[in-house]
Amino acid sequence: MDLTGGFGARSGGGGPCREATGLESLHIGDEFRQLVTTLPPENAGSFTALLELPPTQAVELLHFTDTSSSQPAVTGIGGDIAPPLHSFGTLTFPSNPVLMERAARFSVIATEQQNGNVSGETTTSSSANLDRVKTEPAETESSQRLTSDQAVENQSPCPSQNNRSGKRKEFEKKVKSSTKKNKSSEENEKLPYVHVRARRGQATDSHSLAERARREKINARMKLLQELVPGCDKIQGTALVLDEIINHVQSLQRQVEMLSMRLAAVNPRIDFNLDTILASENGSLMDGSFNGTAMQLAWPHQVIETEQSYHHRQLQPPPPQPQQWPFDGLNQPAWGREEDQDHGNDHNNLMAVSENLMAGSANLHPNQVKMEL
Amino acid sequence: MQPTSSMKEEFLKKWQMGIQICGPSIDNTSVSERKKVIKLSADVAMASLRKGTTCWSRALIQKTATEDNSLVRQMLSGIKAETLINKTLPKKTLCHRKIVRRSKKILMRRNARSASEEAAAKAKKLVKRKTQGLRSVVPGGEFMNNDVLLIQETLDYIVSLQTQVNVMRSIVDATEAGIER
Repeated sequence: MDLTGGFGARSGGGGPCREATGLESLHIGDEFRQLVTTLPPENAGSFTALLELPPTQAVELLHFTDTSSSQPAVTGIGGDIAPPLHSFGTLTFPSNPVLMERAARFSVIATEQQNGNVSGETTTSSSANLDRVKTEPAETESSQRLTSDQAVENQSPCPSQNNRSGKRKEFEKKVKSSTKKNKSSEENEKLPYVHVRARRGQATDSHSLAERARREKINARMKLLQELVPGCDKIQGTALVLDEIINHVQSLQRQVEMLSMRLAAVNPRIDFNLDTILASENGSLMDGSFNGTAMQLAWPHQVIETEQSYHHRQLQPPPPQPQQWPFDGLNQPAWGREEDQDHGNDHNNLMAVSENLMAGSANLHPNQVKMEL
Repeated sequence: MQPTSSMKEEFLKKWQMGIQICGPSIDNTSVSERKKVIKLSADVAMASLRKGTTCWSRALIQKTATEDNSLVRQMLSGIKAETLINKTLPKKTLCHRKIVRRSKKILMRRNARSASEEAAAKAKKLVKRKTQGLRSVVPGGEFMNNDVLLIQETLDYIVSLQTQVNVMRSIVDATEAGIER
């Protein structure tokens, strides 16, 4: 391989004047040419060196640079272009990487001095290339634009590049922002272009892509919501689904109101203790018939028992209960511990409660409720 | 996503704690007073399940804190109450309604639509209105200017509400059954 030739091509690779020769010397296959035209002009210079490799290997390398060079180009303009070149250099000529890097640096600096716009140009084209990779089916627009751009550059010498139209610059900006967005989304999800894929006839500019991604996200969440809200999965149309969700949330909120009202009416003092909770916890897991028996077991105990035996019973449930209450083993330790702490704090409170219940608040209670209602 | 039993237990623990805190203070008050306290404590318990990671829980805690500050503070003493309450919600976006409407009118006039476009616009408007309704239902919804965020929060909120309702219902049933005996 002739290293010097490669260097020469690379050092002038950024300039569009050299690029013309680089393009001329390519006469391999249709596929190959297409790849070259869509690749940044800086890399196009080094393709002349690539030509001496066997075609399959060359294509492989091309593919590699296709992916590797597009990544750092995202970060920007100027000096950041060196890394892709460097990686490319080490790939092609593993013999002398330091020299290669220096050469690459030089080439970048030279192109920058020569024409400030060139670096921007490379970013544009490479990012356009990125776009092409991401939205494979609808590549025609961007690639056509790119080739036309390059044709213009090939025809016109360097000075004419400075007075580009504003429209063109806008396009550049758009593409840059799109690459930035794509990068961030790449960090978020591994393969954004799998999810955001433009079909034939769909717009491929960054805004519509982002919008489409957002819409898909919303749709996925809506599906989850539909699964969550009962009777909502058969409804078509976003507005109706939203309506149903609002209704569900409101009904849940009303239920909370209603339940707290009922609880306030039922309990003379708002203080439920462990037995009711445990019973209800098990009751919720089982059917209603068992709920009654559990209560039957729980309430008389509580009324009769003193504080100490009450405590004891918590830690060691009576023998017949465990097979009936499968969750006892799980619940008991945690509740027991918590109750211990609570007992330390309000011993008297609990005593008062049990006394209150013993005094027959259950009998007193309905009257009180009637009075208040 | 259905409410798990661990969530229920957690909620029950928190709720019981809240009720024990404010139990002695309202011994012989009216039913409505008691109901209010029960509901407040249940709300705070539900919101504290999320430990301030979600928008709605923060908004709910803030709302309840305006009604009964001491209760909320005592209930949240386990997890840092200060950070929970004072965590700033995302900023509410404000735009002048009149100006927005006028500009929309102008836009409408500029491009006269066909029938299908008209229908699509109507559907869009309906969805927007419904989204606003959802915002008003979910606590802190008006702070979520992002549709994706709003739907996510709604999901979480519904799961928590279901937990709350399940636990409360089972307890009410149990107590009522106990009293009947």
